[in-house]
Amino acid sequence: MIIPTMIAQAVAASGITGSFTLAIAGAGAALGIGMIGAKAVESVGRNPGAFGRVLTLAIIGMALAESIAIYALIRAFSNM
Amino acid sequence: MSLFTLAAAVPIEAEPILTKLHGFFGLLASMTNSILVSIILVVTLVTWAQRATRRMQLIPGPDQNFFECIVEGLYGFFEGIVGHHMIAKSFGLLASLFLYIVAANWFGLLPGVGSIGWHEHEEFIPLLRPTTADMNTTIGLAIVFMVFWLIWTLQEMGFVSFLKHIFGVKGGLKGFMAIALMPIFFFVGIIEVVSILIRPVSLSLRLFGNVFAGENLLTTMMSLGHTLHFPLWLAHLCSVLLPIPFYFLELLIGVLQAFVFALLCAVYLNLSTSHDEVEAENH
Repeated sequence: MIIPTMIAQAVAASGITGSFTLAIAGAGAALGIGMIGAKAVESVGRNPGAFGRVLTLAIIGMALAESIAIYALIRAFSNM
Repeated sequence: MSLFTLAAAVPIEAEPILTKLHGFFGLLASMTNSILVSIILVVTLVTWAQRATRRMQLIPGPDQNFFECIVEGLYGFFEGIVGHHMIAKSFGLLASLFLYIVAANWFGLLPGVGSIGWHEHEEFIPLLRPTTADMNTTIGLAIVFMVFWLIWTLQEMGFVSFLKHIFGVKGGLKGFMAIALMPIFFFVGIIEVVSILIRPVSLSLRLFGNVFAGENLLTTMMSLGHTLHFPLWLAHLCSVLLPIPFYFLELLIGVLQAFVFALLCAVYLNLSTSHDEVEAENH
């Protein structure tokens, strides 16, 4: 638990405000969702017939990736 | 604080609105504004559905046609996920979860919600608060689903095979290997239990987070003109024009989150109830 506090102090010292965890979680979720979207588009390009089922799976994947960012978002809002 | 500088952010938990009532009506004292919206929603949805399906004719009227296409569409879709065996039992819950959450999310976007209210010791309390922007509702929905999930799973598989499904030796190992790997599969079972317990948490937090973030997005967009200290007329203009694209975004997110919630519920159900026959995906 030492490292996060050190990072938090360094961040506070340098005057950057806002939630550090939300920044990382948001970046991670954005990457995940981007990858899922890219692969979904690619697979529909290869097999347009499977559009409906690829869409369903892509939405499930994106929702699961996004919920990680939502956890950080709620944590950031609750102690704002 | 001028009329248009709304509160910086939507407060995270719903505020009780009938705090003045005591005695028998004191029970209602803890009724929050999001429960009020929830009651309104349920009443409108049920009465509209009843009215549409009272005199069902062969050639459907507009309301009946509308409901028929929704129910048929959802039935076909969930049947593809949950399977023919489970759909009769679970369709009621899945479809009503979806319809209630879509109605709740879109109701939150109507102009009156969240802006009509009164000041109570310098804190603005809205009369109507979107019900899914309040964590109690989403946790309640998730718990309702988990209870039904447990009931249906135990009905389908029976308690012993349910435990065997979680802690048992998978991969068809027999004899010595099965005994040797018993402890490892026990820990796999522990992880399985943890992932089952995480489900209601992730279901409720995902829905709540998305809708709550949307509320805050709209509120900040509306008061952006004022926070950036634009000239007053420009600030008012911004507070009208800026939120428009975000309203469409919220419409999409409202449907998407409802769809994801019901879809994940169907997938979780399918995971634990389609035990032996592996359906050939016929479409």
